Amino acid sequence: MLRYIARKAVGWFLMIVLATNLTYFLANAFLKPASNYTALRPPRTPAQINHSLALYNLNPNTPVLDRWWHWMSGIVLHFDWGRSPTGGSVNDQVAYRILVSGQLVLGSTILAIVFGVALGVYTASRQYKFSDRAWQGLSVLSFNTPSAVAALAVVLGAIALNQALGTTLLPVAGAQNPDVSGFWGVFASRFTHAILPTISLTFISYAGYHLLQRSLLLDHINSDYVRTARAKGLTRQQAIYRHGLRTSIIPVATQVAFAMPALFTGAVITETVFAWHGMGEYFVKTISTNDVHGAVAVAAFGALMTAIGAILADVVIVALDPRIRVS
Amino acid sequence: MIDQRTVASESGTAQPLLSVRDLKVTFPSEAGRVDAVRGVSFDLHRGRTLGIVGESGSGKSVTSMALMGLLPDYASVSGHATLGEDNLLELDDKQLSKVRGRQMGMIFQDPLSSLTPIFSIGSQIVEALQIHQNLSSAAAWKRAVELLDLVGIPNPDRRAKGFPHEFSGGMRQRAVIAMAIANDPDLIIADEPTTALDVTVQAQILDVLKTAQRETGAAVIMITHDLGVVAGSADDVVVMYAGRSVERAPVDQLFAAPRMPYTIGLMGAIPRLDSSGRDALVPVPGTPPLLVDLADACPFADRCPVVEDACREAEPPLSPVGGAEAETTAAAHLTACRRSAEISDGAIDGATVYPVPERRVTENALSSGEERRTVLELSGVTKTFPLTKGGLLKRRVGTVFAVNGIDLTIHEGETLGLVGESGCGKTTTLLEIMGLRPPEQGRIAIRGRDVAELRRKQDISEVRRDIQMVFQDPMGSLDPRMTVFDILAEPLRAVGERDKKKIAAQVAELMDLVGLDPEHHERFPAAFSGGQRQRIGIARALATRPKLLILDEPVSALDVSVQAGVINLLNDLKAELGLSYLFVAHDLSVVRHISDRVAVMYLGRIVETGSTDAVFNKPRHPYTRALLSAIPLPDPVAERTRERILLKGDLPSPTDDRPGCGFITRCPLHLTLSDPQKEQCRGVTPRLTERGRQDHRDACHFADTFTTADS
Repeated sequence: MLRYIARKAVGWFLMIVLATNLTYFLANAFLKPASNYTALRPPRTPAQINHSLALYNLNPNTPVLDRWWHWMSGIVLHFDWGRSPTGGSVNDQVAYRILVSGQLVLGSTILAIVFGVALGVYTASRQYKFSDRAWQGLSVLSFNTPSAVAALAVVLGAIALNQALGTTLLPVAGAQNPDVSGFWGVFASRFTHAILPTISLTFISYAGYHLLQRSLLLDHINSDYVRTARAKGLTRQQAIYRHGLRTSIIPVATQVAFAMPALFTGAVITETVFAWHGMGEYFVKTISTNDVHGAVAVAAFGALMTAIGAILADVVIVALDPRIRVS
Repeated sequence: MIDQRTVASESGTAQPLLSVRDLKVTFPSEAGRVDAVRGVSFDLHRGRTLGIVGESGSGKSVTSMALMGLLPDYASVSGHATLGEDNLLELDDKQLSKVRGRQMGMIFQDPLSSLTPIFSIGSQIVEALQIHQNLSSAAAWKRAVELLDLVGIPNPDRRAKGFPHEFSGGMRQRAVIAMAIANDPDLIIADEPTTALDVTVQAQILDVLKTAQRETGAAVIMITHDLGVVAGSADDVVVMYAGRSVERAPVDQLFAAPRMPYTIGLMGAIPRLDSSGRDALVPVPGTPPLLVDLADACPFADRCPVVEDACREAEPPLSPVGGAEAETTAAAHLTACRRSAEISDGAIDGATVYPVPERRVTENALSSGEERRTVLELSGVTKTFPLTKGGLLKRRVGTVFAVNGIDLTIHEGETLGLVGESGCGKTTTLLEIMGLRPPEQGRIAIRGRDVAELRRKQDISEVRRDIQMVFQDPMGSLDPRMTVFDILAEPLRAVGERDKKKIAAQVAELMDLVGLDPEHHERFPAAFSGGQRQRIGIARALATRPKLLILDEPVSALDVSVQAGVINLLNDLKAELGLSYLFVAHDLSVVRHISDRVAVMYLGRIVETGSTDAVFNKPRHPYTRALLSAIPLPDPVAERTRERILLKGDLPSPTDDRPGCGFITRCPLHLTLSDPQKEQCRGVTPRLTERGRQDHRDACHFADTFTTADS
């Protein structure tokens, strides 16, 4: 198993290297870092601009292969992913933003899975009954809610609540209070700030797991082996939980693993509404500001998350399903 | 036997273990309320076996599911089913779960899907034990291993840790039986326990079931459509039709003197393995009624040859044949037929209930096989599949010899039956023939033309015309979105017929030929019953006027009463059109009935071939002998006196082509041989050899010793 994972990891590593380099050349072809300087007053001459860009290894007059070699050796030798056109360190940005995104995404992912899968099981064992139809209706609604709508609705609700209480119980913007200190102070502040975005993200993402788990489990509920389990003396509910759920959760686990990269970089709108500075926002920002190195770093990060998701999916499947053997 | 009889006489007075009274089950459906079970009553005593026989849709499985409380929520169940003190039908799921698995164990039809794929076999048995008994995990595991040993799984210690996908069908069914008897139940319900298995494995499983019954002293309800299985295992039999029991009697009495026309029809419709008679089978006409809005009349009236007007006025109750006084005796014979008293020995007023249809005789059937033209010739045909390993770069680690150098010859107007267990290479052989490509090794010739010489598309389609196929599954092999007309016209258009009038005429002719009403040509396959759909499949195959039909299990998906009609049709068509058949089936009785010659396949090789009577009457190869002895006969007396050759284990995988006989691993004869003889079996591949009798060859070094020692 470990050898298998190691082999997979090497394969994925090569894939990441390839994807990242490809993105580097694409970004250099399409993004024009010089535009960051053209709007400056007093206007600068192209020579001045190129001089500034050359400091950050972005001078368009240097051959792209030379720039690439410089960039590549920086990563390999110092793990330095370069600078933005205005001189900011990509490493600093990404390191900070991964933490923010993780804080935002992790809680909602876990909640969405737990809530979605539980609902799937609950409604599948009550197929076509009122509770099934009611939950399914809600899930279809939430599935189709744009994230901006969900986020703004949560914000409006929280503001109304805060006003009614007369105190800021649930902060609606930012990742933490700038003026708190101490471990517990920061923790409490971050926690309260994360509540609302987590609610809105969970609301828009749980339905996928609910509907998937429901239909998968329905395939298994009427299967022969669940019937055998009942014939052994389990009640219907027990048989469904012990025999049907374990088998039907395998595809859900795969889906979770592969959803990770999209989650990290895809929560742009939620981040924007709640004024969080996460990877999603960075993704959009690097492109709009012609930040070649930043965009490439985001791509590399996405590829890394995909690789981790894929390997995790393999591990989970092997752990859950004895029929799959790795070699 | 003696033991059983004593139990039987005691049982008349003792309290029955299970007493079912007026069990009714209904399901809602779009067409209306379906009355799947309409008042079934029976008593079952400890240690006895009750066989429930019936065709699909007769309500036999629903009855068992109702007893176990495993029906879906929307089914409504009424009546009484008393097991011990409880009325099973009134318990809720929680209360029933205490009874299920403890007092009642159940064995299901399809062992491939009835075990949870992701738990080990051992842990599934442990679960069954721990639900009802307060056992430590170690003790439960030990008991599970004991149970696996009891049901005949070799190396139970190691195998208990295995997962279901590592077990063969027969082994999984053994595991299911182990689970069913884990808590020493009073009642074991076996719902078609051997239908999905090969005959040799079926014999093993029926044996295990008897062991299990002996160990637990349980009563058994054996649900099956196979009269042979019932004859061999049941003490009493209930025949079900349209949701009711229409006849109930002790097994001997039922088979010796059936009194209900439906039962008589069922027995007449099955071909017999132990008779070489080639008379036409007697099909029961028509199809079972839909169980929606049944009129108050005998449900069998429309299919009954001896129906009277009174039969349509009220549904006859299940009542004793000899009048009320017979009811008290243990050997009561009950039927739901107004005319039972008049029926004896399959006849009414001196005339047989079912007139035997006439069989058309082939004109050239009398001339000997050698003089006729050969239609199909296979010599040394081999087909291998690579065994590969690795994901991206596949390495070849071995070879599966699916078909390993077989010779077959079919003459004009002849039927060759190809028999063998699943996995022996029958289907691969058919696919090789139908592929019309030169085989890896050897040669295939159709009507004298070597397929290796077929280069042009035109040549191939010319040969393709001559050879057509009928498939096993009549539901799956017809496109549900095409009308019968389109289905039958398609092959005609494929061979170049463009004239619409001609096509219409030919379609009508084809439908008429297979006994379908040409008026129905605009209907879709869904509007036809299983037997009728198989007739459409046959008509489609006949459309191009082929010389050879390849029939891949053409009747195995059909109920017996319908099967007989299709077999008769095939026989008639052969006589009328001078067809040749290559008939593949696992049901040897059917093969015996329809074939002129048979070939027995084992592990990709033909181990015995010859004229049907020669092979069936004097089988020479130990495998053929075992295969024949494994088939249950629909005759309780013969079943009891028969000596069975039980093969051990399953079909091994043909993964290498070492010299030596492929059957050694399971051969009962091999064990009795001396060491130098054993050496010969291991070292030298036996060839098909003719011994004395003409046209009967076998591939066994020591078939002679066997035959002489035996007789």
